[in-house]
Amino acid sequence: MTTARGRRTGEALGFWLLLAPSLLLLVLVFATTVAGVVRMSFNGWTPPSFYVEDVVLDHYVRLATDPLIREAALNTVVLALQAALTSVVLAYVMTLIVWLRPRRFRLLVIGLMLCPLLASEISIIFGWWLVLPRNGLLSYMLVGSGLVSEKINLLYTEFAAFLGLVYAILPYSFFILLSVMDRQDRLLLEASADLGASPLSTFREVVLPLTWRGVVLAFSQALIWAFGIYATPSALGPDTLWTMGQRIQEEMIGRANWPLASAIAVAMIAAIALLLVLMRTMEPKERALG
Amino acid sequence: MSESILELERVRLQYGPVVAVDDVSVTVGKGEFVTLLGPSGSGKTSTLRLVGGFEHPTGGTIRIAGRPVNGLPANRRDTATIFQSGALFPHKTVAENIAYGLRMRKVPAAEIARRVAEILEIVALPGFEHRYPAEMSGGQRQRVALARSLVVRPSLLLFDEPLSALDLSLKLQLRAEIKRLHAELGFSAVFVTHDQGEALSLSDRVAVMAKGRIEQIDRPDTLYNSPANEFVYTFMGESNRLDVTAAGGAIRDLQGNLLPLSLEDGLAEGAWRLYLRPSRLSLSEHEPVRSNALRCTVSMVEFLGEHFRYHLACNGLRLMCDASAKLGLAEGSEVVASWSTADMRAYR
Repeated sequence: MTTARGRRTGEALGFWLLLAPSLLLLVLVFATTVAGVVRMSFNGWTPPSFYVEDVVLDHYVRLATDPLIREAALNTVVLALQAALTSVVLAYVMTLIVWLRPRRFRLLVIGLMLCPLLASEISIIFGWWLVLPRNGLLSYMLVGSGLVSEKINLLYTEFAAFLGLVYAILPYSFFILLSVMDRQDRLLLEASADLGASPLSTFREVVLPLTWRGVVLAFSQALIWAFGIYATPSALGPDTLWTMGQRIQEEMIGRANWPLASAIAVAMIAAIALLLVLMRTMEPKERALG
Repeated sequence: MSESILELERVRLQYGPVVAVDDVSVTVGKGEFVTLLGPSGSGKTSTLRLVGGFEHPTGGTIRIAGRPVNGLPANRRDTATIFQSGALFPHKTVAENIAYGLRMRKVPAAEIARRVAEILEIVALPGFEHRYPAEMSGGQRQRVALARSLVVRPSLLLFDEPLSALDLSLKLQLRAEIKRLHAELGFSAVFVTHDQGEALSLSDRVAVMAKGRIEQIDRPDTLYNSPANEFVYTFMGESNRLDVTAAGGAIRDLQGNLLPLSLEDGLAEGAWRLYLRPSRLSLSEHEPVRSNALRCTVSMVEFLGEHFRYHLACNGLRLMCDASAKLGLAEGSEVVASWSTADMRAYR
């Protein structure tokens, strides 16, 4: 007899079967490596060996006390926050344009936003090396337009690192916001205006609340990307700008201190996890939005 | 109705070569309910959007309460629109939706609360203050939309096919509700619809539109009984059409069969289209003493609830006749269809 329970068991089995390949991949590639990193972070360190099997908290103590690491953490957080905020604001403006304007704008902006995703991070960095130096494109453009009188160098500045980061994470913010914006009914803008709301009031009362979920999502996504990207700030920023990513590389390869590098990595993963939990509380309560 | 709330004077809306609204002139008096009726693409919704301020005319003048409003955006016009979908704010409760227009007008909070409660009574939704639109039925949502527009007491209410998305019984119920509210509150309104029944039942006057123009604007009964032209006649209800030619005092169908028809003024020589409504035909088994009678065969019978529709064949002509159930004519029966001359219209 095929009972309702039997059917439910069958459905559950199908569910797990379908999920199994990706779950397996995730466990193999992600969970085991993260577990390995966590284990490594508790090992001892006696140069010249990379690590010594042990269980110690030394590296976490250093994490909290080493001023160099603290500076790198601060740099990373500040840079990531700035870049994430900027990318979300820029992406919001662009999605608004795409949402409100005729279709030809839509294709143009979506095309532009896809570009950074088509090239690898490294080739984009090479691009910035052509644009940002004293004899680069941007410098010539600024002089040519009369905005500055002398050629300027922007490469290896904090601004360059910021710019590179924003460029790298902008598409993610954009597409997340667009997917949320596209689900809204544009007629609501007319209804709002019809009831006497100025465009600014309509934005504050209708557009922003309805897309706030997307803003929070895009911001957390952007922050995670900005947090984790290593090559861009290291290749475009000044030598004095140390980020957590660079710190890990330095400890891992420069000083062969694997446990400390692992402890930094674990701290970053924990920070991101904490951030995700925090962001969830910022999301509006799920209402029956039908 | 001496004072006019809305005046459109040769209003035109053109997108490149496409003329959506073509020299439309219409006046709506204080307390008057005027319907723009027409098929899709007739310019009725465009006209409404021009009045609401969502589009701006490329020619002519729009005056609301005597004041020219050309170029004035929607948020600075004293009109309120009820949209087809309701367009309620999904993230706001019923009370917040209704209070929206009042808040934008900087009405004090205490008065907002009072007026929201009052209007919810009027639209028969008391106790729904804290519901979200998604938690309500389509009919209830449309009542909220109505309340949200009524509560700001605009000079003019604009209805953009508010009943089109509802199922039949709800549509009829809400239609009666709108009529009751109009009688009670005396608002002025422009109502857009493609449904003749809605237009006839609700309106003081109906403007039939086609291709961006007003074909006729009149009281519903005048419009129905004395249509100004062929388009208005055919749009106001179902009709039988007979393609005939008149020659030498005789009327023949396209196959050349002589038709024993008589028209009040006779027909000039040439091709004509004759129309008559299915409800104006009567069927009998014997030759009646009427001037217009055709021998037909019943080709199909449809049961439509209120009546039967008989599809009749008469040589090359096809006729529809609506009659009560009692006739009980089967398919293949021979009948005589007749009608009075006054019910027939001729256009060429």
